[in-house]
Amino acid sequence: MGFKLSREAFDAVLQSWTDDYVLFAPKRFEQGGIYSDTDCIRYGQVQAVDEIVFDSKSLYSFKEALLPVSETLFFFTEETVKEADPPKKGAIIFLRSCDLHGLKRLDEIYLRNGPEDAYYRRLRDRVQFVLMGCPHSFENCFCVSMGTNQATDYAISVDVEGDGFLVDCKSEAWAERITPRAEAELDVTPRHVTENAVTVNIPETLTIQVASSRIWDEYDNRCIDCGRCNFVCPTCTCFTMQDLFYTENGRVGERRRIWASCMVDGFTDVAGGGSYRKKNGERMRFKVLHKVYDFKVRTGSHMCVGCGRCDDVCPEYISFSNSVNKLDQAMKEVSGR
Amino acid sequence: MDINTKKLKKNAFRVTKVRGMTASRIRVPGGHLDARYLGKIQEIAERFGNGTIHITSRQGFEIPGIPYEKMAEVNALLQPLIEGLDINQSEPGTGYPASGTRNITACIGNRVCPYACYDTTAFARRIEKAVFPNDLHFKIALTGCPNDCMKVRMHDFGIMGMTEPQFEPQRCVSCEACIDVCAKKSVTALKAVKYRPQRNEEKCIGCGECVLNCPNMAWTRSKEKYYRLTLMGRTGKKNPRLGEDFIKWGDEASIIKIILNTYDYVEKYIDRNAPGGKEHIGYIVDRTGFEEFKGWALKDVNLPAKARVFTPLYWQGIKY
Amino acid sequence: MTDNEYVPFLSKITEIIRHTDIEYTFRMTYDGDVKPGQFFEVSIPKYGEAPISVSGIGDGTVDLTIRKVGKVTNEVFEHTMGDHLFLRGPYGNGFDLDDYRGRELVVVAGGTGLSPVRGVVDHFARHPEEVKGMTLITGFKSPADILFFGDLARWKQSMEVILTVDCADDGDKPAACQIGLVTEHLPKVKLGDISRAVAIVVGPPAMMRFSVLGLLELGFAEKNIWISQERKMCCGIGKCGHCKIGDVYVCLDGPVFNYTKGRTLID
Repeated sequence: MGFKLSREAFDAVLQSWTDDYVLFAPKRFEQGGIYSDTDCIRYGQVQAVDEIVFDSKSLYSFKEALLPVSETLFFFTEETVKEADPPKKGAIIFLRSCDLHGLKRLDEIYLRNGPEDAYYRRLRDRVQFVLMGCPHSFENCFCVSMGTNQATDYAISVDVEGDGFLVDCKSEAWAERITPRAEAELDVTPRHVTENAVTVNIPETLTIQVASSRIWDEYDNRCIDCGRCNFVCPTCTCFTMQDLFYTENGRVGERRRIWASCMVDGFTDVAGGGSYRKKNGERMRFKVLHKVYDFKVRTGSHMCVGCGRCDDVCPEYISFSNSVNKLDQAMKEVSGR
Repeated sequence: MDINTKKLKKNAFRVTKVRGMTASRIRVPGGHLDARYLGKIQEIAERFGNGTIHITSRQGFEIPGIPYEKMAEVNALLQPLIEGLDINQSEPGTGYPASGTRNITACIGNRVCPYACYDTTAFARRIEKAVFPNDLHFKIALTGCPNDCMKVRMHDFGIMGMTEPQFEPQRCVSCEACIDVCAKKSVTALKAVKYRPQRNEEKCIGCGECVLNCPNMAWTRSKEKYYRLTLMGRTGKKNPRLGEDFIKWGDEASIIKIILNTYDYVEKYIDRNAPGGKEHIGYIVDRTGFEEFKGWALKDVNLPAKARVFTPLYWQGIKY
Repeated sequence: MTDNEYVPFLSKITEIIRHTDIEYTFRMTYDGDVKPGQFFEVSIPKYGEAPISVSGIGDGTVDLTIRKVGKVTNEVFEHTMGDHLFLRGPYGNGFDLDDYRGRELVVVAGGTGLSPVRGVVDHFARHPEEVKGMTLITGFKSPADILFFGDLARWKQSMEVILTVDCADDGDKPAACQIGLVTEHLPKVKLGDISRAVAIVVGPPAMMRFSVLGLLELGFAEKNIWISQERKMCCGIGKCGHCKIGDVYVCLDGPVFNYTKGRTLID
């Protein structure tokens, strides 16, 4: 069911949810860029539709809404634990098609790979997704190659149309709120791209043998192991646990988990010394193959959704998509040995 | 030939070693200009000069080999540059009204450089508007960050950009990139406390390395821009020395006010019998004592609460 | 919240067996199902968690042999009998005894690698009739590092045991102990039908690599070799990602791998 809505009407629909939900969307952080006098578009809580940035790609993904960067699991004393309370409200998350596919990857890890993650589950069950249409491709996007340029699992879709919005609605609860406010009912297909300037080719013949290729060596020096590519990625899910106590002699503290990066030192360190993948090229290989090889072996679909944020953010201009496009040559190199 | 050298110097021409020949000096506040002005400079050099241009040590241009009698024509051709770069002028078409206060120089700043904490050229131009024309010999320079590529500590007034890093603990991933870089490239103002960086505000110089190196934007820049003001650095014959910190976490308005106040102070205390009537500010401060200078400099200045004033100041340097 | 895998339960220390200055076995109350080779996350509020293999299974207890090498394990050593520790688990696949029943079995264990496989060795020591023959080659850095010394004498009654240390001063080493790396002792293993013999290799990465190569040289089939991997783990339940190698999660799919899979795992 499709609608045309004025900006005010759409905002009224959103406001009708705010008793029970927070709105989470890409927004402009003025002067919030890492360089002076630059802004940053990334996710944050918004109060109204005017704060939502529709015409840019966010530097970071939506995942922080479901997987907070830092999440308290429980509070403890020496012999008791008390689980942290969930947020009081659910969330309505605005996101693009690639990210909505990214959600499936998060679900795969947090709901299916081993036992369910209770913290993810309790947030996930209280989230509604609003698909933001893509009238055009952004820099570094390669969603078409990854088959993630269209998505269907949304409550509503939204596309900017003149001063208002076009909405496709798949949810009765949303339809009830939209219908009385709509300017018109019409067929709406969320805008999506059918080609990107960047394409990737993941060879069908890819095997783990490619790990021994020389293509990874150049990243030993080029990569600075900062982890930005992981932190902006909508499908990177790793975390590390931390225990802390509130006072020096206190018996009270918390256990929390925070995002971790397979590119950053310490990711594989075991107690008593010892670590794996000391070279940055090895870390790059581990990450790239996870995104476009072994996750698929395990789950049937590639982890990477082609949003290109890793390329957008890399301070060393390392292109993930370009590294994927070297895999074909790399396979020829290793199978020729 | 009858030339008033005092007048031509004030008009930004120079007495050169070649009898009968002068050189025209073009000021470019902040060292940044539209490329089209280079064509104007080329035209002057080729029509009236010897066809060469010197890029000066103060980010201006000097066109040598101009016969003294061509100064009026050169001034006419300089008009688009003077207007285009928004230089204060008393009468259109008469060239530069003063040369004592030197071109205000700046590193490339945040128009290009990732480290810069502000638009150095824009700030330089605002200072230019406030202080020029003036015959007193002031040297003012601006640099984007504590790297001090502009070498502002060799100036009477050195302005160094700072940002006050803002930390959002909920975004921190405990990678310690900020702590590492602060220790290796800056002043070790960060240490890990319970998995997260703790900033020593006293030590922090506001360079922004933590912001640049944080992979998850846990550190961001303050919306407010801050500056370090260094004083009375100088080159020269008697006692070359580096400028000392006067104010840390200062603001733009205060800095401009302090500079303007210093003009009043110099007017009052300059040695009128000094050779050429020229005396560097630093030597005047050496003579009157720092406290007297400070009283003048800080008159009606409302520093932000965060600002820290260093006092008294002592300078080192080489004494001949 | 129900079924929250991250919330640990309390378990009481019923006995502490001291092997070396830095290696103790903590016998902990635990009632559920557990297999040798599985692991628990020992969880100490304020200090964190450490994955520890099950080194023995008793009636209502599990043994956790812990090496004091980090923040968490240092703190575990501050506890005494009757104290409680928090645990989560058991996690991982563990060893499947059926893989070894009716075969000739060679266990090669280096250092603390003996802990995860101890349950297997102990089971077949009690039930020697279940295997066609058994050899344990267990190596330690020095005589002071030897674990489960008391068990070794008992195991000797029902299997071939080769105890070796990398080096030792004269007079320092027990009579039953030999010198040299475990790999140097591999050729001494007497086997009837090597094509059907099975082996388990557990220990530090280099020791495992060379031991497997040694076994393959002897004629062991890849599919008859089992290894147990140790990696950094935070969650134990396939979420945190630290233990992933290739397409497997050591905490879910391991730590025990058949070598046909194990050899494809590139860190």
